[in-house]
Amino acid sequence: MFRNQYDQDVTTWSPQGRIFQIEYAMEAVKQGSAAVGLKSGEHAVLATIKRAPSDLSSYQRKIFKIDDHMGIAISGLTADGRILCRYMRNECLNHRFVYDSPMPLGRLVRQVADKAQLGTQRSWKRPYGVGLIVAGHDESGPHIFYNCPSGNYYDYKAFAMGARSQAAKTYLERQFETFAAASLDDLVKHALHALQASLQDGELTEKNCSVAVVGGDMPFTLLEDDSLAPYIAAIKEEEPAAAAGMEAEGAAAEGDAAAGEGGAAGEGEQQQEQQGGGGGDDGGEAPMEQ
Amino acid sequence: MSGIGTGYDLSTGTFSPDGRVFQTDYAQKAVDNSGTVVGIRCKDGVVLGAEKLIISKMLEQHSNRRTFPADRHAGMAVAGVAADGRSVVSRAMAEANQYKSIYGEAIPGHVLAERLGSFMHLFNLYGGYRPYGVSALLATYGKEGPQLYLVEPSGVTYRYFGTAVGKGRQGAKNEIEKLKLGEMSCREGIQAVAKILHQVHDEEKGFEMELAWVCEESGRHFQRVPQQLADEAEAAAKAALEAEDMDD
Amino acid sequence: MLHRPTSHSAAIGPGPVPSLANPGPALEQQPRHAPQAPSCGSEAFCVDPQALSSSHPRQHTQYPYVTGTSVLGITFKDGVLLACDTLGAYGSTKRYKSFDRLRKVNDVCMVGASGELSDFQYIMRLLEELSDDDFCMDDGHHLKPAEVHSYLTRVLYNRRNKMDPLWNSLVVGGFHSGKPFLGTVGMIGTSYTDAHLATGFGNHLARPLMREKHHPDMSEEEAVALMHECLKVCYYRDKNSINKFQLAKVTKDGVSISEPFALETNWGFKLFQNPAANAVGTW
Repeated sequence: MFRNQYDQDVTTWSPQGRIFQIEYAMEAVKQGSAAVGLKSGEHAVLATIKRAPSDLSSYQRKIFKIDDHMGIAISGLTADGRILCRYMRNECLNHRFVYDSPMPLGRLVRQVADKAQLGTQRSWKRPYGVGLIVAGHDESGPHIFYNCPSGNYYDYKAFAMGARSQAAKTYLERQFETFAAASLDDLVKHALHALQASLQDGELTEKNCSVAVVGGDMPFTLLEDDSLAPYIAAIKEEEPAAAAGMEAEGAAAEGDAAAGEGGAAGEGEQQQEQQGGGGGDDGGEAPMEQ
Repeated sequence: MSGIGTGYDLSTGTFSPDGRVFQTDYAQKAVDNSGTVVGIRCKDGVVLGAEKLIISKMLEQHSNRRTFPADRHAGMAVAGVAADGRSVVSRAMAEANQYKSIYGEAIPGHVLAERLGSFMHLFNLYGGYRPYGVSALLATYGKEGPQLYLVEPSGVTYRYFGTAVGKGRQGAKNEIEKLKLGEMSCREGIQAVAKILHQVHDEEKGFEMELAWVCEESGRHFQRVPQQLADEAEAAAKAALEAEDMDD
Repeated sequence: MLHRPTSHSAAIGPGPVPSLANPGPALEQQPRHAPQAPSCGSEAFCVDPQALSSSHPRQHTQYPYVTGTSVLGITFKDGVLLACDTLGAYGSTKRYKSFDRLRKVNDVCMVGASGELSDFQYIMRLLEELSDDDFCMDDGHHLKPAEVHSYLTRVLYNRRNKMDPLWNSLVVGGFHSGKPFLGTVGMIGTSYTDAHLATGFGNHLARPLMREKHHPDMSEEEAVALMHECLKVCYYRDKNSINKFQLAKVTKDGVSISEPFALETNWGFKLFQNPAANAVGTW
């Protein structure tokens, strides 16, 4: 009855040198709603789509402030995300206490990744089922990092994760070269456009999405509801123009994304050998980066 | 070595009837599928080079590091699972630090290599753990001169004049054997490594090369090869390869 | 078939793994010894539980043994100067005459120490670990002078709260992002920054001169001249000092620490020859 006897335990290598439990944990990230992160030369921006489990409930928070100079967007198991969030907040506070200065992002992200690695090598643990996009600003400028359940981390110019994020990724890949010089407002709009792409036919409102910005001249700030409304309105106005440009390739991209979820190869996964038709990877992050 | 389907290959704590621990072999497999990592010991230092596949064009340059310092005089290039690699590097840093605290001087290469070997071997002994999916090339330059070591997932440790691990290891090793390592300076070494990495790289996909060295020129500090030198070496390597193609 | 230990805790009871073969503690990465933790091995930033549980009072350092005297520091237009002598005094015996009390931390920062010199060596080892870490991270970040100062404040204050102080007064000098930094930390964790500083006797002997003559935009030559004068004044009046000094400088070009040098002194003052002359009734 077992399709695969090597996928039961995180401490079991498959004969091909893969660890399925880690790859399954990475699937959890795709169950969460989409989140994107991008940066210019001055600022970093996070944007997420929020879900509400029922009409009577509030929307689940996806963006968490870590410190004045950074925050995270999570996708996957929210509870796991909150553990990592608490850990990061703690590290930042300790750093401020000891050194009286904000913690460099790269260092914290590496620590989080090392922490995640532990869960991939012990039979009595499991990998975290959450992806983090860390956005922040330190001495070396703005940063977008992606922390993966596998214990890998990546330094990105722009990134998207979560459900149907391939469409957002496609948008970002087409636009990211213009981000370096973009203004903060433009950056936020790009983020919303990317989200809109991954929302397919759903409508982006100030209720179902939230945005956060951070830069050298401003602390990490969450934009929600009223403060977000003008941006939503602005991209709605741009939409017809932008949509026209998106349509042709956008349709292809979305088809791609749909196919990716159906189990066929997405863009990034050609790098990993396929075994037994393992679940589709939505591109970008090769499972274990071998 | 077919343990597949027998059930004897599911745990590090299980021997197969013919005396193998298959999980160790499988971990080695993870290394064999990874990007190529090359190390050579030249007359004045050690050069390490890693082939990094670019998984997204939106990645920043130098993301996904493969070479890491472990101390001022020692550093590693890791092939295999990147996250495991960092874990091994952290251990190397801790060992180097601890040695310095106790003995007041830098940890000799063979001690560090041996300690890392023991560390990685521990993960082959218990059912609760899995072996590291990492082979680490260790470059050191201490009192005993420049040295190159290889630590495998099984915990086995070797000292090499030059070696390669990862996907293109066989081709790379053949090329390394042709080099006159005893007469080569590190300046020439980085070019040789760049050339080998380009040679064994599977043409279709782009890759980023990461070069690091510990040598006289770097003040016996382990560091990434300065960007300009690395670019020059890569350009020279490409030119040399093209020239060879023309000859053929 | 698949080996699954049910318990890894001796407290819960043995699982399939024989308890002696339990690899847990041997394999788990030990948390790196926190530099700010006390040498007795208790948790950082908390009271040593042993100190509370033992029925006898626990005694730590009661007094320093080998000590250094004042360290002086002043800022100038484009950097910071630190200076002190090179004596390690065993009580009032001039025991070690070429001890470097000014040390480089990294390219932007240095530390000078007075007080117990073995404690200073320990502190330097902590800072060395931190800058080794910066080297290994290889991400371009390194400790700034203000961070070193804050860190040392935490370490010294924490140790004094353990009733196990590091017996030092430290001066941190640095230059970063175009600004000089000068700060000090005492053995009980008192810390402050100022444009000119001195530890120990220097606080009484050199600071008045500095207050009089120091101004923030003085040139390097003026600063060196002022420093020489302060050193000389300290040397004349501090019996635990010798005429062998080092002067260290941090500017945008980095840290440089001079070779030891002596200052010209004049002991031929009349009052020195017969100090009791004007004090009737003394000898």
